[in-house]
Amino acid sequence: MASPGTLALATRGLRKSYGSRLALDGLDLSVPSGVVYGFLGPNGAGKTTTMRLLTGLLHPDAGSIELLGRPFTRADRRRLFEVGALVESPSFYPYLSGRANLDALAADGAPVPKGRIEELLDLVGLRERARDKVSGYSLGMKQRLGIAGALLSDPKLLLLDEPANGLDPAGIVAMRETLRHLAASGKTVFGSSHLLAEVQVLADVVGIIARGKLVREGPLESLLTDQGVVRVRVTRADADRARSLLEPIAPVNVTATAGATPADGSGEQWLTVHVEPTRAAEVNRALAAAGIYASGLESGTDLELLFLELTGGEASSEGRMQGIGDAAGPTAAQG
Amino acid sequence: MRIFASGLRKLIRRPASLVSVGLLVGLLGLILIAAATVGQNGAGRGAQNARALITFPGAYDLILSFMFGLGGLVAVIYGAAVAGSEWSWGTLKTAVARGESRTRYMLATFGAIMVMVAVGLAITLALGIGLAVVAAGIAGISTSGISDADTLQRLPAMAARGWFAVVEQAGLGFAIATLARSQRAGIGAGIAFDFGEGFASIFFPDIIKYMPFAVARASIDTGTQGGFGGGGNGAVSQALEPDTALLLVAIWLVGSLIVTVLFTERAEITG
Repeated sequence: MASPGTLALATRGLRKSYGSRLALDGLDLSVPSGVVYGFLGPNGAGKTTTMRLLTGLLHPDAGSIELLGRPFTRADRRRLFEVGALVESPSFYPYLSGRANLDALAADGAPVPKGRIEELLDLVGLRERARDKVSGYSLGMKQRLGIAGALLSDPKLLLLDEPANGLDPAGIVAMRETLRHLAASGKTVFGSSHLLAEVQVLADVVGIIARGKLVREGPLESLLTDQGVVRVRVTRADADRARSLLEPIAPVNVTATAGATPADGSGEQWLTVHVEPTRAAEVNRALAAAGIYASGLESGTDLELLFLELTGGEASSEGRMQGIGDAAGPTAAQG
Repeated sequence: MRIFASGLRKLIRRPASLVSVGLLVGLLGLILIAAATVGQNGAGRGAQNARALITFPGAYDLILSFMFGLGGLVAVIYGAAVAGSEWSWGTLKTAVARGESRTRYMLATFGAIMVMVAVGLAITLALGIGLAVVAAGIAGISTSGISDADTLQRLPAMAARGWFAVVEQAGLGFAIATLARSQRAGIGAGIAFDFGEGFASIFFPDIIKYMPFAVARASIDTGTQGGFGGGGNGAVSQALEPDTALLLVAIWLVGSLIVTVLFTERAEITG
């Protein structure tokens, strides 16, 4: 971190409604300087609304925003000169080339150093196609051009909404390296993502939002350590008995959500036992001793588990639902 | 200045710019060649009228009337396309997220449109004169009137008034598309307003004469033989003095830009 203890971004009581629908309900974010911050939440949780508020596209109903240690209000748009942003899908003039689009973007807002555009075209691997019209770009290329656009003014704070959208695996790796490099050089990266595994690899700090509120925030490592769980899959008939058997060991949640219910409709249920992952065998043994045989067992400090737990099982992808059904966690064992 | 220059570069490369000028020049060329063909092959009243159209200095009237008449409608569409695409393509969003002033961005963009309209009209005028000379040649008419001193003397002033009237109409399209936040909706609404105003003038001429498209037409109507005025709303446009109409053109233009700026400043950009 560049300046330990300082915040690159902070929101206090941020509130925003669209008509009668409350999108953000008193959001309090604290993003330390010089970190990669993973901003997670299910669809419709308020991630993009937050991004729009942070970039002045929307006006908050209540609450305050601080960017790089100073308040950000409508009247102080120049605060954004030190911020680079990619909000939602990247937006370009389709009839212009990639380079011409960056040229056009450079004319807005903060001044752009000479030679910066060429440097960024190299960085995002678009130099070869820089003369081509953007209308002929793939989604991944547009995304890379969008990231280049966000980096134009060499910002201290980078706000990226789903930056991995459309990128191929090589592109994701390259983006990860770029973002890590930026954070290492003292810049702050605030990125929302649905790719939890990607966030787990990349982020230093994580904030999880659900229904417009921050439900957890902190260094990823400590959150995962604190939130270790063991999950067992049992038949519905055994669920109540299994729960009473496991309650003496640790608190148990029955997660009968879509994300935790086997896709094959076998009538089974997941139980989440809040114990350290190292105690998985103890949980399994307790069930087996009572004649309950788990058809799936997983344990660990997976960000996806934490995410599902905190967001009430509002899974962010079908893939995750299938994955849980297969009990294929990092330390999974078939019961 | 950076945004204005950038806006100009964007518009120069924009296919709609070329299409707009191409449409004007192409249609004007068709009319002139059609007049030449009719004028070449007959001695009746129709042929005489056709020959009059392509005989200088009268041909200037045809060219300018066409430019400022159809040009006004093209300008509405062009202004709406430029403003609407800023919302549809999300490029306004990107500029705002970079800390750019919304007001400055929209005004600079419109400034670029004003320049493009001037360039487009100048190209149309130059090519129109060239095509009229060709048409006169086809019909076997002398082009000696091309250097008519009286016409050439008032041509710059008329061109300037015409440009201003066309710019006002581009401003209307610009404002409508901003309110609609959409390219297509802006273009559709702009065309509908233009035709709607012409239609409504049949029933409410005393009101419609103050409306934006009517005052634009009236402002370039000098009462000369060809009128230099465009479109088929002569009865309406004559209701206002050209100078009064010009003042109203300025008011409508400023009003359109104020609406554009206020709406853009207050808008929540969600697209």
